[in-house]
Amino acid sequence: MDTEQTHPLKVPRAVQQPVTLNAGQAEAFAATFERLAAAVDTVVLGKPEVVRLALTAMFAEGHILLEDVPGTGKTTLARAIASAVSGQWRRIQFTPDLLPSDVSGVTIFNQASGGFEFHPGPVFANIVIADEINRASPKTQSALLEVMEEGRVTVDGQPHPVPAPFVVVATQNPVEMDGTYRLPEAQLDRFLVKLSVGYPVEAAEIEVLRGTHQRSPENIPAVIDTDTVAQMAELAKHVYIAEPLYAYLVQLANASRAHPKVAVGVSPRGLIALTRAAAVFALAQGRTYIIPEDVKALAEPVFAHRIQLAPDAAMHGATGAGIVAEVFESVPVPLPASAA
Amino acid sequence: MRLSRYRFRVAAVAVCLTALCALAGAVAARVYHGTVLTVLVTGAALAAFAIGFLLRNKPSWLSAAVSFGGLAAYLLVSFVLTDDGAEPFLQTILDALVNAVPRTLTALIPVEPAPDTVGVPVFLTWLAAGLACEFAVRYGRTLLGCLPPTLLYAAGLYLVGPNAGPAVTVTVVYCLIAGAALAVTSAPPSRRPDRDAHVDGGAPGRRATLLGSVVGAAVLLVAVAALAPMATRLVTTSPGDPRELVEPPQLTDIDLNPLVRVPEWAKNPEQELFHAVLDGEATMRLAVLTEYDGVTWQAGGDFRTAGSVLPGSGDGGFSAEVEIIELGGKLVPAVADPATVTDLPIAVNLATRCLLTPDGLATGDRYTVGSDPLVVDPASAVDARVDLSDAVSVAVPPGAPEFMTTIAEYITATYDTPYERAQGLAVFLSEHYAFDSEAPSGHDYPTLGFFLEASVEAGGQRGTSEQFAAAYAILARLVGLPSRVVVGFDVPGGASTVTAAQGLAWPEVAFDGVGWVPFDPMPADGAMPIPPQETLEELEDEPSEEPEESAGAGEAEDYNDPALEDDGGDFDAEAAADAERVPAWLWWALGAFAVVCVPLLLKARRRWRQRRRLRGGTPAERVAGAWSEVLDAAARAGVRIGPHATAEEAAARMASLDAGIEGMPGLVNRAAFAPGSVEEPDAEAAVRIAHGFVRASRARVRGWKRVLT
Repeated sequence: MDTEQTHPLKVPRAVQQPVTLNAGQAEAFAATFERLAAAVDTVVLGKPEVVRLALTAMFAEGHILLEDVPGTGKTTLARAIASAVSGQWRRIQFTPDLLPSDVSGVTIFNQASGGFEFHPGPVFANIVIADEINRASPKTQSALLEVMEEGRVTVDGQPHPVPAPFVVVATQNPVEMDGTYRLPEAQLDRFLVKLSVGYPVEAAEIEVLRGTHQRSPENIPAVIDTDTVAQMAELAKHVYIAEPLYAYLVQLANASRAHPKVAVGVSPRGLIALTRAAAVFALAQGRTYIIPEDVKALAEPVFAHRIQLAPDAAMHGATGAGIVAEVFESVPVPLPASAA
Repeated sequence: MRLSRYRFRVAAVAVCLTALCALAGAVAARVYHGTVLTVLVTGAALAAFAIGFLLRNKPSWLSAAVSFGGLAAYLLVSFVLTDDGAEPFLQTILDALVNAVPRTLTALIPVEPAPDTVGVPVFLTWLAAGLACEFAVRYGRTLLGCLPPTLLYAAGLYLVGPNAGPAVTVTVVYCLIAGAALAVTSAPPSRRPDRDAHVDGGAPGRRATLLGSVVGAAVLLVAVAALAPMATRLVTTSPGDPRELVEPPQLTDIDLNPLVRVPEWAKNPEQELFHAVLDGEATMRLAVLTEYDGVTWQAGGDFRTAGSVLPGSGDGGFSAEVEIIELGGKLVPAVADPATVTDLPIAVNLATRCLLTPDGLATGDRYTVGSDPLVVDPASAVDARVDLSDAVSVAVPPGAPEFMTTIAEYITATYDTPYERAQGLAVFLSEHYAFDSEAPSGHDYPTLGFFLEASVEAGGQRGTSEQFAAAYAILARLVGLPSRVVVGFDVPGGASTVTAAQGLAWPEVAFDGVGWVPFDPMPADGAMPIPPQETLEELEDEPSEEPEESAGAGEAEDYNDPALEDDGGDFDAEAAADAERVPAWLWWALGAFAVVCVPLLLKARRRWRQRRRLRGGTPAERVAGAWSEVLDAAARAGVRIGPHATAEEAAARMASLDAGIEGMPGLVNRAAFAPGSVEEPDAEAAVRIAHGFVRASRARVRGWKRVLT
């Protein structure tokens, strides 16, 4: 018997699309997902929802933007995820004097060989932690555009693919704006989710104080390898989506675009991102199909940072999250059809 | 299966509403001539609904734009089909667009289909069909979709007014079709399975829908209770006629009293008035004068604008082609009874059926009148009683000359029956008075007194047909005969030029069942008149020999007493109407019965729907039906679930009811989003949960809701 076909987290190669997942595969996915989340939870205390949303983005092959005030555990979360996956990970501390070549790599003349050699930058890793991403200049931020979307870096006209899976976990501080550069919309759109860690609850914060010296992201044992991550991401592409849900998703996007307080609504890329994330979210709960609850759970992290508010609305305190909530209030959820 | 069922329902609703629009448009067509308008409004309903139906999944602005374009094209086609080509087409279109509304409301029945009279019905039918389609098909609001055709139906009835019979059958059919549309019902956008559906804005919430239903039902009940007594009184009354609100064409003095033109014609007999080509010899009437005030005879009643086909007429087989030469004024000569008039704008006096052209006659005007010649058999009037239905025709103003009273007494004493008196009066005038074309004009009391009494030497006892006809009519009224004066022309058959010499006036007397019978009081040519005093003195010489006072008076009463007329007809009619009138208490009882039936019908409807939801269809459909039952039960218990809530969110909100539906959201999501994953045991479980939830939540339902549902 072919072992590849019996592995619960693998999609049989010989089978053509569409593939119907079975309950066993969904349960195996959910178990692995939960094991990984539990590992990260040992370091990031009291934030299980944020951890699971971040992992959902990773398995959906998306990038994660963590935005919060300093000291809330953004970098810890990023490092914990990197440690829990036994792949290659790099950390880039973004500073104003960081150059694009410091991120992507540089071609140098090798006197010994008499030719030019490409020296890969820190972006060549499975998990790249872009710490304080908004402190780098827009030029350096833009060095991530290509690699985040296409999974490769082009230097001197030569494309250099990054290893798969490839996940950028970026952090930024929304309060201290001196010496920072706001991420452009194109860059924001490339992050599948934007998460806020937030302050822990009292009990979790006490627990943090008790075990500070023992909990370090570096102490987390690797739970899964990058191959498993890739397999789980592939598995998520075969989650079933009912026809009415497609219409529901498009109506949500249309509603965001037609909202009077919105200048630019959700892009098709944002819609695809939500669909992929919802598929992972469904599998993580052991389901082989998406339900509207999945869509709603992920709507704010996926949609809110993609919505560009109209100037008047922004001045009057409107937020992307508020707009998303209004959009969901305006679109009816598809319901099953009864006989009467 | 769901899609096909939806398609069947929406197709049924579309067919019903299209039929409603066509029916509502066709109601107004009952007062139009021919079937042209019926065809046009039916086509408009079909086309407008087809456009709305085909574009139901496109943006509403696109549907509106296409429908507007279609309407413009359809109106253009309607104008082309109904245009007679008399005016340039562009001018016809502009005229129709500017004057469509007033002309549609005021055109006389039957309305001639023309660009200015078909535009409004076609436009309104198109609008109603378009709106009905938008409401019912795009937004799934069938009841709201029935509103435009119903308003159109009401407008059609108002336009018809009392000019057609009660539309009982049409109304019943209309109600049946509307009921069928509501019974089938469409689907709100949130339930539509055609995913391409594009709906502007969000669907109205369940709460708003329910609130609207309750308010609508309450308003309906209050309206029924308040209006039922009023409606019972209206049942036997005649509907209002918008045409009565129109100011009739104004007449000039010469048209108000054309009798003064007779002596002018007598003095200028060679004057050529008009050229006529008639199918046969006939008298052409210019005016019928029914009202006398002691000074002048005038035409009664109002003239109303009419099309080429006059109301209440036959086929107009007798043709008269007329070309005006020197005849002036607004009154149009025509052979009675006119049915069609072509090539001339026309207004008709519904009381006398005389014609008038608002712009006045001018030399060179040509027109053709098709008439149904009035055939009056004088023999049938011999034993007939007079027709006293119109009090104006027997009214005699005070101040009549004493001599006229003497003549009237003579006629009354000499003749017994009405016809004998009418004929005797004509003979009396023709034998005692002479024609003189030079006689002074006038027909006021003093002039007529002079004509009747003054000596020949003084210039009396001679006159034109003006005096003969006027004197006859007044004397007839003094005798008790309903009379009127007609001004017109004697015209031979074939082509001829009518001169002033052919103009004359003659009196007519109304007989019951016969109609207006003309009499000729003019003297025969060359006859020598007998002084009237001699004849009247003979009567005075026989005072003692009048035992017939009782007999004569008695017979006179038999024929003329209005009370006797009333005894036979009107009283019986009123009694019959009283018997047929539905008593008010019956309407109140029906209303109360309907109110009592409402809760029963609502309960029966809910039972039927519950049975279909929980027992019919596939397991997934039964799960969905169970969920619908749960949502309905929660709404009755006061927990409103918005359409944007997921199954889990809805269940969380229903937790306050403490009715145990924990497993239901999972089943619902599987039924909706994981096809084939719901089995029969799952459906049974969902049905059990729904039954339990309905029972548990019923305790939270308020009293009046429990009664109603």
